Amino acid sequence: MSKVADERSNAAGSLAGERRAGISGSRFAASMAYFERAAKVIPGGIYGSKSPGFLVPGHFPYYLSRAQGSRIYDVDGNEFIDYLCGYGSQIVGYGNPAVDGPALEQARKGDLLNQPHPAMVELAERLVGLVDGMDWAVFVKNGTDATTLATSIARADTGKQIIVAAEGAYHGAANWCSTNVFPVFTQAEQRDVRFFPYNDVQALEALFAEHRGRIACIILTPYHHPTYKPQQMPTPEFIAAVERLCRAEGAYFIVDDIRANFRLDMHGSHRFFGAHPDLVTMGKALANGYPISVLLGRDSLRKTASSFFITGTYWMSAVPMIAALATLDEMERLGGAARLAALGGMLKEGLESLGREAGFCARVSGPLAIPYLTFDEDTDLYLNQRFCAAMADRGVFLHPHHNWFISLAHTEEDIARTLDAAREAFRELRQQARGADSSGG
Amino acid sequence: MKTNFSQLTLEEKSVLARLKASLALRLAEEACACDTGLQRACPPRGVSMKISIRGAGPVLGLRVPQGSRRSGPRPGRRPSLLLFFPSAEAAVRVFSGVKGTAIPLPLGAGALAALAFFRKTSSRATELLRAPDTSKETRARLLLAATLYGLEAIAGESYLVRRMQIVPDGVVGVRAGEIAYRVAKKGRIIHVQKDAPSAVAPAAAPDSSTPNALLSFADYQKAIDVLSGKRQAVVALGSGEVRIEGLLPLVQGLFAVLDRLSWYLGVEI
Repeated sequence: MSKVADERSNAAGSLAGERRAGISGSRFAASMAYFERAAKVIPGGIYGSKSPGFLVPGHFPYYLSRAQGSRIYDVDGNEFIDYLCGYGSQIVGYGNPAVDGPALEQARKGDLLNQPHPAMVELAERLVGLVDGMDWAVFVKNGTDATTLATSIARADTGKQIIVAAEGAYHGAANWCSTNVFPVFTQAEQRDVRFFPYNDVQALEALFAEHRGRIACIILTPYHHPTYKPQQMPTPEFIAAVERLCRAEGAYFIVDDIRANFRLDMHGSHRFFGAHPDLVTMGKALANGYPISVLLGRDSLRKTASSFFITGTYWMSAVPMIAALATLDEMERLGGAARLAALGGMLKEGLESLGREAGFCARVSGPLAIPYLTFDEDTDLYLNQRFCAAMADRGVFLHPHHNWFISLAHTEEDIARTLDAAREAFRELRQQARGADSSGG
Repeated sequence: MKTNFSQLTLEEKSVLARLKASLALRLAEEACACDTGLQRACPPRGVSMKISIRGAGPVLGLRVPQGSRRSGPRPGRRPSLLLFFPSAEAAVRVFSGVKGTAIPLPLGAGALAALAFFRKTSSRATELLRAPDTSKETRARLLLAATLYGLEAIAGESYLVRRMQIVPDGVVGVRAGEIAYRVAKKGRIIHVQKDAPSAVAPAAAPDSSTPNALLSFADYQKAIDVLSGKRQAVVALGSGEVRIEGLLPLVQGLFAVLDRLSWYLGVEI
């Protein structure tokens, strides 16, 4: 019997039972021990999106020790079929030798050198040739680096201050775009960022009218993937309006493709939606988890980008660039976006069908390769949390509050096993609901 | 970094004064609800009084019905006393136990008894928080009341405007054993009210009466440890001693307001 099956038989009971038991004596004892130690020396123990409170404590591990293909393993030895994929960075699977082989070979030869490695030129050429409409590339490390550089270039080029963004969209952790809304930031870096409801053409038009002559750029994810909410695809009218308003205002259109890149279209997610941005940011899946992001731009912005002093100690390290080149090859070899969509389609259809059978209005939103399940009857996400907890108990890592990712390492068998677990999880939810009904709760 | 009262802006001084007054009143009510000695000492017609601080917003009220474990407003009972503070600083000083100016203005019969009773209950609340033999339930009740009513008192200040904008509106059910509250956030306002424990329970089948989010402590001791700062909230959350369910941005957003509350409570006078 596999570890997944073992863990299935060890699955914890109800949330209430787990609460009584506490976590220190559970199957996550080692995770908890590390977390207790961490809290003494690291603010928050684990900060940001990996914080335990973002998951369902008692049902998810806090520390992972290794991964292979579509599987992750925690410090207690529990195994999970993983649908978070390192928050999207794993696209051809953990430990894929086609990527790790050349990357580790370069690591032995030298990674961070005084001058760039030739792979930087090769990768820039490759991406400029691949991504629709883009003429140059600048490499950085994180999504935040890329989006901050993109908006800065747009501001410098236009001489205008205002950045327009959609409510609830995530563009990084820098002060201009983060949720660290202390007055010292709201009066400075955040002062000139304006928000509108995604897909709302009227609201966007009103915003552009209100700030005419002062808008430098609009930054949008290729489709809307806010945390805690169903994902929203852009309407054709919305994209057309964005481009029309940008042209009229003399503002730049930035597509922040950090989270979605290459899962929708190898030529950039903007091509999937028929958009024509001036700047595109990519990261995460670009190098299958090796640290690199990129800002791509049109010729019209090359001069301004050239005038920027762009640097970071690790921004030109060779290994991630070698890994990115290998990842692009491996994505194509494994079937790319079409294969991801096929697997994602199986998962979506299966989950929605099983949800219906159990009497729930469970709906999978977003692109097939980046799905997220919510329950129409529960916008507060209690059922999401219970469902994802029940899935984690059965060895499947589905995030209750953040969209999921399909990778090219997932197999039809993985999806089938996931759906087997989902059948049981939905049944468990239904039983809990019936229990609550019969007890009047 | 500790801040001295003299360094605060006018608005912060006003918020702090209101916060201190509000905590004194709510803790006094809570002490009455927990302490049979205080209930016996309560004047026959109960106590209703008000506090007014110049420049610190609307009048705050204390109402303790006689002989009842349940505290809270009782319609129709007119306040017998207005305790007036001529400045925010005066109120902060008095409620911090430092000498300051408070002017008792009788509004009806029993004013002096009301003042004496308020002093007694305030003092008893402090004792109950400090005494080692205070029951866990009582200590948890007092700490939870201080925390939640503290949030209510500071939520509208301008420092928190943007924070309150990004926190979704909704109701958080807060539960520790038999203690239950509903904390409603709407716009820049937070409103706290007590609730039946059964109404603030994990919902297997959430419906329209279910709070948008739940914050629950595994037991009284866990609540005490977290609310008194002995146990980091984040560790308690990770260990399952504290649970949050439902609309997490609502609860997490209020945690950020709590940080501001801690800052206010750390201001030196």
